[in-house]
Amino acid sequence: MSWQALALSVKLAVIVSAVLFVVGMPIAYWIASSRWRWKFLVEAVVALPLVLPPTVLGFYLLVAMGPRSPLGRLWLRAFGHTLSFTFEGLVVASLLYSLPFAVQPFAAAFRSVDRQLVNASATLGVSRLRTFARVIVPLSYAGIITGLVLSFAHTLGEFGVVLMVGGNIPGVTRTVSIDIYDQVQSLNYAVANQTALVLLAISFITLSVVYAVNRKVWVL
Amino acid sequence: MGALKVGADGDAEAPAGKHALSAHIQKCFPGGFELAAELEAAAGITILFGRSGSGKTTILSCVAGLLAPDAGRIAVGSRVLFDREQRLDVPVVRRNVGYVFQDLALFPHLTAEQNVAYGLGRLAARERRRQAQAMLEQFRIAHLAGRKPAELSGGERQRVALARSLVIEPQVLLLDEPLAALDLPTQSQLFADLRRWNREHQIPILYVTHSQREVFALGERVVVLDAGKVLAQGTPQQVLRAPLQETVAQLAGFENIFDARVIALHPAHGTMTCRLEGSSVELEVPLAKAVAGEAARIAVNAGDILLAVECPRGLSARNVLAGRLVGLEQEGITVHARIDCGVVFQVKLTPTARESLALAVGREVWLVIKTYSCHLLEPEPG
Amino acid sequence: MKNVRLGSLFLLVLLLAKSAPAGEITVAAASDLTFALTEIAHGYEQKSGNRVKLAFGSSGNFFAQIQNGATFDVFFSADVEYPRKLAASGLAAAPTLWVYGTGRIVLWAPADSPLDLGKLGMKALLDPSVQKIAIANPAHAPYGRAAVAALQSFKLYDQVRDKLVLGENISQAAQFVASGNAQLGILALSLAVAPTLKGKGAYWEIPTDSYPPLEQAAVIPTAATDKSLARAFLDYVRTPEAQAILRQSGFQPPPEKP
Repeated sequence: MSWQALALSVKLAVIVSAVLFVVGMPIAYWIASSRWRWKFLVEAVVALPLVLPPTVLGFYLLVAMGPRSPLGRLWLRAFGHTLSFTFEGLVVASLLYSLPFAVQPFAAAFRSVDRQLVNASATLGVSRLRTFARVIVPLSYAGIITGLVLSFAHTLGEFGVVLMVGGNIPGVTRTVSIDIYDQVQSLNYAVANQTALVLLAISFITLSVVYAVNRKVWVL
Repeated sequence: MGALKVGADGDAEAPAGKHALSAHIQKCFPGGFELAAELEAAAGITILFGRSGSGKTTILSCVAGLLAPDAGRIAVGSRVLFDREQRLDVPVVRRNVGYVFQDLALFPHLTAEQNVAYGLGRLAARERRRQAQAMLEQFRIAHLAGRKPAELSGGERQRVALARSLVIEPQVLLLDEPLAALDLPTQSQLFADLRRWNREHQIPILYVTHSQREVFALGERVVVLDAGKVLAQGTPQQVLRAPLQETVAQLAGFENIFDARVIALHPAHGTMTCRLEGSSVELEVPLAKAVAGEAARIAVNAGDILLAVECPRGLSARNVLAGRLVGLEQEGITVHARIDCGVVFQVKLTPTARESLALAVGREVWLVIKTYSCHLLEPEPG
Repeated sequence: MKNVRLGSLFLLVLLLAKSAPAGEITVAAASDLTFALTEIAHGYEQKSGNRVKLAFGSSGNFFAQIQNGATFDVFFSADVEYPRKLAASGLAAAPTLWVYGTGRIVLWAPADSPLDLGKLGMKALLDPSVQKIAIANPAHAPYGRAAVAALQSFKLYDQVRDKLVLGENISQAAQFVASGNAQLGILALSLAVAPTLKGKGAYWEIPTDSYPPLEQAAVIPTAATDKSLARAFLDYVRTPEAQAILRQSGFQPPPEKP
């Protein structure tokens, strides 16, 4: 039972969800409110990770992080090493891979807020940003929570992308999903089962708690 | 309760022009609808009257800044809010225009007090509370401060919406059919509140409605809109009691509109005789610029016609028509009667009248119509 | 009447004879055999008219799949343990187990690497410019285990341990180095000489005495759908032409059979 791998996965999921909250909300707001005629292209790009096989995404990320790509070289110059095989690399990869799981529920929730309320807020002299904070967000709690939970759960269970860019370094990039896979590969089924069970229990408890809390929010 | 008072009840005429709203708006919509309206609204209540789809809400949206006209100019006094030529378009948040939407748009997650205080974000917390409380008291809903909109009745919600828009001290107030969903007693109360506030603050208020009753109860001025154009502007009396255009007549509820032909002119009496087409019925109507043989359209309000069960004598009215009662229907406190005199007239009576005259279908009756109750309508353009 | 019956029977036999299958077998093979086996299978198909479907991947994966009922006709493992285990548990016919070659591991550096492997040999791993070293996961890949054994043998393991990144299989390890994310890798010789990597870098053969021999064996699982065809294919792999291809692809001849 590798607690280290489990802790790593949870750490990754928490950090990625938090970052997606900060980054995803503005993107979702733009998607929900913009009238730009080419907006659909942006929406398609955001949704890409949903259809791309994780190994494909992982492979291209590996190339992009490598020292031969402009991005990779930039990072190399700034930090002395590439993003690949680092925890930060996993965070970046997971951010891309879990993006639609946060942005889409956020955007759907924002869109469902009555347009008239937004208009009313404007006529009362409240800026767009403050309208977002005081009207749109409070009325979108359910969608926001859904987005956070989905990105947490999705990152927790991620395998393909981590496999491609992680390098399986214990304590750094050996997440629990990789660990279980390793145990299975090494025929240590008992250990694999144990780890999987613990992962399942933690995920289930987390999800239950969040949905229980979400229930209260519905009583407006 | 009682019947609603008709007409501005003696309110002093506010000095016009100083902070009057002037709006020239032109806007084309993809469906083909074109709005081309010009109106002036001085301090006080100006009613925007017209059918659904005539463009009333569009005008409000343009004044509020939620919609940009294709061309035109909108200004409050000397402050210009929109001017296409000058490329000026003050953003909504800076226009200081209060808007009470048709569905109120109260924030469901905030209490009544928080809703009212919403627009006062610039003030310190204590001042915010004080002003919100004061406004709530003015509209007699202070006891509901802690309730959310879902816990309020229709009338209470309406008041919260009004209070919320007024607490920011707007320069113009826009109301979109604010009383539509309320019952009569609540409506009267709200009328009273609004007029009290209006007396104290005197800002231009644009009030959209398609109810005649509200026009007479509230309006100091009325602007009639139809199909995106202003048909008439003036006092309710001028515009609706003596309509010049058929559309306005229809909107104003003139149930009797007939085709007629001018038979003879009587300049010395100030009248002329017209025969209603398709019958031998002749009416004496006020003299107008016309020649014998010319076609005309005559409108008579159903409420202006008297009914008699005996042939009346010695009346001042010039028009006494014999006919037969062919229809009788009661709708609330109004009885609608239809009398065939060669053409069918619609007459409005009270239930008491119906009873005391023992009216029944088939009865022979006489209609009495004053000359001045017959209105000649302008020929429709095109 | 009788003639018609005979006639139709004859037609039936003819039809059946025509559709007597060009046989088809499915072969599971370790990824380091990718190029060699593809070529060999092609040759076999031409000669016999049968079809060979090839699946490449990690030996450990295939092992687990066969354990759980996969019906591969032949299993070319990257080691000898997995086939032995299968035979021991009755999932494969022991007599069919055949060591087809031994693999070698090499140290590999991409073309743009400043390191001269010929001069440095294993010492290249200690160069300060080397931040990451890719190997296959020793937990389940034979080449990974061999890499670790070699490192330990050279007494370098503890020093480079923190720089190791593990690929799921030898191909992924190659991917890590080829893309430049790892500066050096310990790969299979067969991969280093394969057309895709050839010319993209340089390799240095790690002395065979520093790691246990990578005997690679094939076996026919008992769940195979067509055992006779499987045997036919294995026989073809023993032919000189096929052996030559294996040689070229970096597999050394199997040790003399006892």
